[in-house]
Amino acid sequence: MGTQTPNGFKLDDSGKRIVVDPLTRVEGHLRVEVNLDSNNVIRNAVSSGTMWRGIETILRGRDPRDAWAFTGRICGVCTGTHALTSVRAVENALGITIPDNANSIRNIMQLCLQVHDHIVHFYHLHALDWVDMISALNADPKATSALAQSISSWPLSSPGYFKHLQIRLTKFMESGQLGPFRNGYWGHPAYKLPPEANLMAVAHYLEALDFQKDVVKIHAVYGGKNPHPNWLVGGVACAINVDGTGAVGAVNMERLNLVSSIIDRSIEFVEQVYLPDVVAISSFYKDWLYGGGLSGKSVMSYGDIPENANDYSAKSLKLPHGVILNGNLREVLPIDHGDPEQIQEFVGHSWYKYPDETRGLHPWDGVTEPNFQLGPKVKGTRTNIKELDEGGKYSWIKTPRWRGNAVEVGPLARCIVGYAQGKAEFKEPADQLLKTVDLPFAALFSTLGRTAARALECQWAAHQMRYFQHKLMAQIKAGDTATANVDRWKPESWPKQAKGYGFTEAPRGALAHWIKIKEAKIDNYQCVVPTTWNGSPRDPNGNIGAFEASLMDTPMADPEKPLEILRTIHSFDPCLACATHVMGPDGQELATVKVR
Amino acid sequence: METFYGVIRRQGITRRSFHKFCSLTAMSLGLSPLAASDIANALETKPRVPVIWMHGLECTCCSESFIRSAHPLVKDVVLSMISLDYDDPIMAAAGHQAEAILEETRTKYKGQYVLAVEGNPPVNEGGMFCIVGGKPFVEKLTAMAEDAMAIIAWGTCASWGCVQAAKPNPTRATPIDKVITNKTIIKVPGCPPIAEVMTALLTFITTFGKLPELDRQGRPKMFYSQRIHDKCYRRPHFDAGQFVEEWDDESARKGYCLYKMGCKGPTTYNACSAVRWNGGVSFPIQSGHGCLGCSEDGFWDKCSVYDRLSAIKQFGVEKNADQVGMAAAGAVGLAIAAHAALTAAKRLSRKPVRPAQEE
Amino acid sequence: MQDKSPRALAAAVAPNAVSTGRSVERDVVYVYEAPVRLWHWINAAAILVLALTGYFIGTGIPTMPGQASDNFLFGYIRFAHFSAGYVLTLGFLLRMYWAFIGNPAAKQIFYVPLWRKSYWGGIWHEIRWYALIAAKPKERVGHNPLAQLTMFFMFTLTISSMIVTGVALYAQGAGNDSWQYELFGWAFSIWPNSQDVHTWHHLGLWVIVTFALVHIYTAVREDIVSRQSIISSMISGQREFRD
Repeated sequence: MGTQTPNGFKLDDSGKRIVVDPLTRVEGHLRVEVNLDSNNVIRNAVSSGTMWRGIETILRGRDPRDAWAFTGRICGVCTGTHALTSVRAVENALGITIPDNANSIRNIMQLCLQVHDHIVHFYHLHALDWVDMISALNADPKATSALAQSISSWPLSSPGYFKHLQIRLTKFMESGQLGPFRNGYWGHPAYKLPPEANLMAVAHYLEALDFQKDVVKIHAVYGGKNPHPNWLVGGVACAINVDGTGAVGAVNMERLNLVSSIIDRSIEFVEQVYLPDVVAISSFYKDWLYGGGLSGKSVMSYGDIPENANDYSAKSLKLPHGVILNGNLREVLPIDHGDPEQIQEFVGHSWYKYPDETRGLHPWDGVTEPNFQLGPKVKGTRTNIKELDEGGKYSWIKTPRWRGNAVEVGPLARCIVGYAQGKAEFKEPADQLLKTVDLPFAALFSTLGRTAARALECQWAAHQMRYFQHKLMAQIKAGDTATANVDRWKPESWPKQAKGYGFTEAPRGALAHWIKIKEAKIDNYQCVVPTTWNGSPRDPNGNIGAFEASLMDTPMADPEKPLEILRTIHSFDPCLACATHVMGPDGQELATVKVR
Repeated sequence: METFYGVIRRQGITRRSFHKFCSLTAMSLGLSPLAASDIANALETKPRVPVIWMHGLECTCCSESFIRSAHPLVKDVVLSMISLDYDDPIMAAAGHQAEAILEETRTKYKGQYVLAVEGNPPVNEGGMFCIVGGKPFVEKLTAMAEDAMAIIAWGTCASWGCVQAAKPNPTRATPIDKVITNKTIIKVPGCPPIAEVMTALLTFITTFGKLPELDRQGRPKMFYSQRIHDKCYRRPHFDAGQFVEEWDDESARKGYCLYKMGCKGPTTYNACSAVRWNGGVSFPIQSGHGCLGCSEDGFWDKCSVYDRLSAIKQFGVEKNADQVGMAAAGAVGLAIAAHAALTAAKRLSRKPVRPAQEE
Repeated sequence: MQDKSPRALAAAVAPNAVSTGRSVERDVVYVYEAPVRLWHWINAAAILVLALTGYFIGTGIPTMPGQASDNFLFGYIRFAHFSAGYVLTLGFLLRMYWAFIGNPAAKQIFYVPLWRKSYWGGIWHEIRWYALIAAKPKERVGHNPLAQLTMFFMFTLTISSMIVTGVALYAQGAGNDSWQYELFGWAFSIWPNSQDVHTWHHLGLWVIVTFALVHIYTAVREDIVSRQSIISSMISGQREFRD
């Protein structure tokens, strides 16, 4: 029994079916179903995005200068990255250039998001897949202190500190009200950390919770608030005035110092807490190297963080650009977002309708018409689904492919592309980490590798923030304080018709928006986002996406408690509101719900 | 062990007012006065207030904002002040273990838990634009609302509809007060609401033992009774008539008023200009961009972010009040000119008329 | 109003004013009582101030040089708007009071007698008159039927809604515990986003501007063409029939 997918996975749905819904600790709503063989090893995996909002249809007919505000609201977790992609798409379409300072400030904001998002993802969305909180109660505070001090010079590491935390934790647990930790899979055999490592990790869970709120103050300085800072087509809205009348109402020395101090603290936290924790955890999970999925085969990174304003060529981008197919690390293929043959979206297994569903459409010509149809083998009813039928339509996520290939995107993909290109800033830290925990290069293609690549990237991003902050200061010192270009602000200065695209590397992976503008209004708008790539259902050729591929062949210790599934899916940092924002014209009125 | 009662006693709340809170709660649930003492007993001996935080169609910005709270720190809120028993983006449990918590809470803490809702239910396609546990989100939402002590609508999605409800609202995303019609809902709008406003509201309820006073729109008066404009530090420039005319101009660098750049501060009720964001670091206007009006009903559909006047979309045209008005006045002006010319022409061609005298 | 002899009607509305001594060749009727005339001109002045300042409030003014503390121009513009608004509101209230105690002409702008057959006949005649079909105008003591319709919808109703929305918007600054909010805060229940109230208030401005154009044109035109005094009537109170 079983079928072979073109991208090299053997699927067998004959065994016992396990359903995880809601799959929590992700942004939005996700459902995963797997089939296990008699040894409880996953032989078939189905991931389904279970929400749909429709920002793109809502955007039609609106002012392109407003698009960032709408698309920014696609996601409040990777907040700002959609907005940045949007202003880039509009600028690309209308031929608007931005000043150098705006480029630096945008880069700082985007990198700030990377740092913040990676920290929050690791500690608050992912750590509990590796860390057993209850076990922390049995730790010896002295031994915990010794462990902490052996791996890092972080000052919050005294026996008293851990003792106090343990008392508070014990009191909390004894209250019987475990709050968000209720019904967790505590004591699960797949947890491998000793109690001391668990206690240290819980301490850092709470410290990270305190610290993450400070990281985003950078967004507040340049964008006014976080979540959802403000952006501007043509530059940034925050004017610079360091030495003149009214400087207190602009980006001034005090603001710049605030940003600099947060950057310093971020570097400190990442290097003294986050990275050591990842190394420590990795060393205990060295023999749990499942979850590689597509990462060893096909990965993609658009690239981001342009060194030079308005130059989005691979040369200018500091995050790597390119595609690797079929594990061939010797060849990195270039991406052209405007080429209709490269990026295409399919809907064969998605709840949408195309005239011809065997073919994909380039986003500029994208069609998004909802079509909520369940496959014939579905168990349950339309509004009470027990088990999905992956032979039919089964997800609100579309199916993007690069030249027909399913690819993985995200920090691991970026790391691999950078590594394959021989870029020292990606290769050396990865080699160093592998050496430290004594694992071969192939170990990178795993759930653990994904988690480690994210940590390494976080460190890189924190340092890049400092680089661009210095660049900004140097520019101001040289007398350039321009932050916005208003030459083509007014719609009268625009061509009658225009189209363009913008791309970024969101914390979760490659993100791009495509826009068509007609008579100063948005004519068509399409977004293809990281979780659409990673969480996509099968394409008409039967290729499975990154989520599904990553779950294959993973053994489960206890099918009732799907910790392994959570661990691997979380390593992608899924963002479902992003993945399922796409939308077409009005759906059919099928409401059964009464509304006042 | 830290009970809800212990927490509020520590905050200096007397036993008497605590009991008053319990009886008010009982009343709001339609329970008998006898039940009040039961609730009091339950809260004294048992729990911190259980909070069920549900997510519909949203972007999770409200949760992200919540964890930004500087005072109190969110770890203290979660560990000592409330019992956040269900919140899908952060909870450890998943799948049926997570779903079980909802039923447990409903039966075990009937009438004693707070239901916080982020996002809203779509009601098209039988609610299947947002599926949780194989079922429409709206079903779970209304079920959990039945036995809640209080319901909080976090953010503009739950309060007004927000971005997915912007025209043409393809999924028919619906604010929660349109599907939960038999209960008071505390609306805390904003995209997202300010972190400290969110935690202040929760701690207000646990500290003072009562629900906040609400305005006409159901928003807590303490944070939503004045406009951004009323407490904006750039207000003197507004009164002086000093405006930013275009981005990055001299006025922008001096921090002048953003009125002409489409700032919606004058029509937006929120605490941004007073409480500010991210521990008081800034707020949109301070960082040079006008207010989007994100805590207002239907703000997405009023006009462009950068327009001063609302767009009027009737008969397929989209113009603001001035354009519509000038067009109307202009047309009438032309008609008058034409009429005057005709009148003059007629008078020249004929003798003066005499008014008709009837008798 | 109705098809009666002006003299007979004049006797009905203001018997004292019909003076045979004043004019021998011309007929004169006392139509607009002093409070009505006074109100008319104060109201007109208030509207002029409100329209100009209102327009500037909506669009902003060119940026003033110097320190914020040295300028208060926008503040003064808004002050003028609010003051004129109060003058207009108070005037309108007194005018409503006068409608009860004044002569029939003082009541005209507050109702439209759609139930009267003769009124419809009057409308038909006025349409023909303004379409330059009817050869002769009818003599009217107060407003002609078409004018009454226009007055009621374009002026009375519009001004009423301007007062409601204006006071509601004033309450935004005065606060939610002000009497203004108590009185007209319900506008924000109809339009929860106060930006909509601004929009309606702003559209009202243009209705008034359009009304003013029509009002002034017809007054001047009828003064000339119908050979009845119109403009001077609002000063002297007397309507003169020149033929």
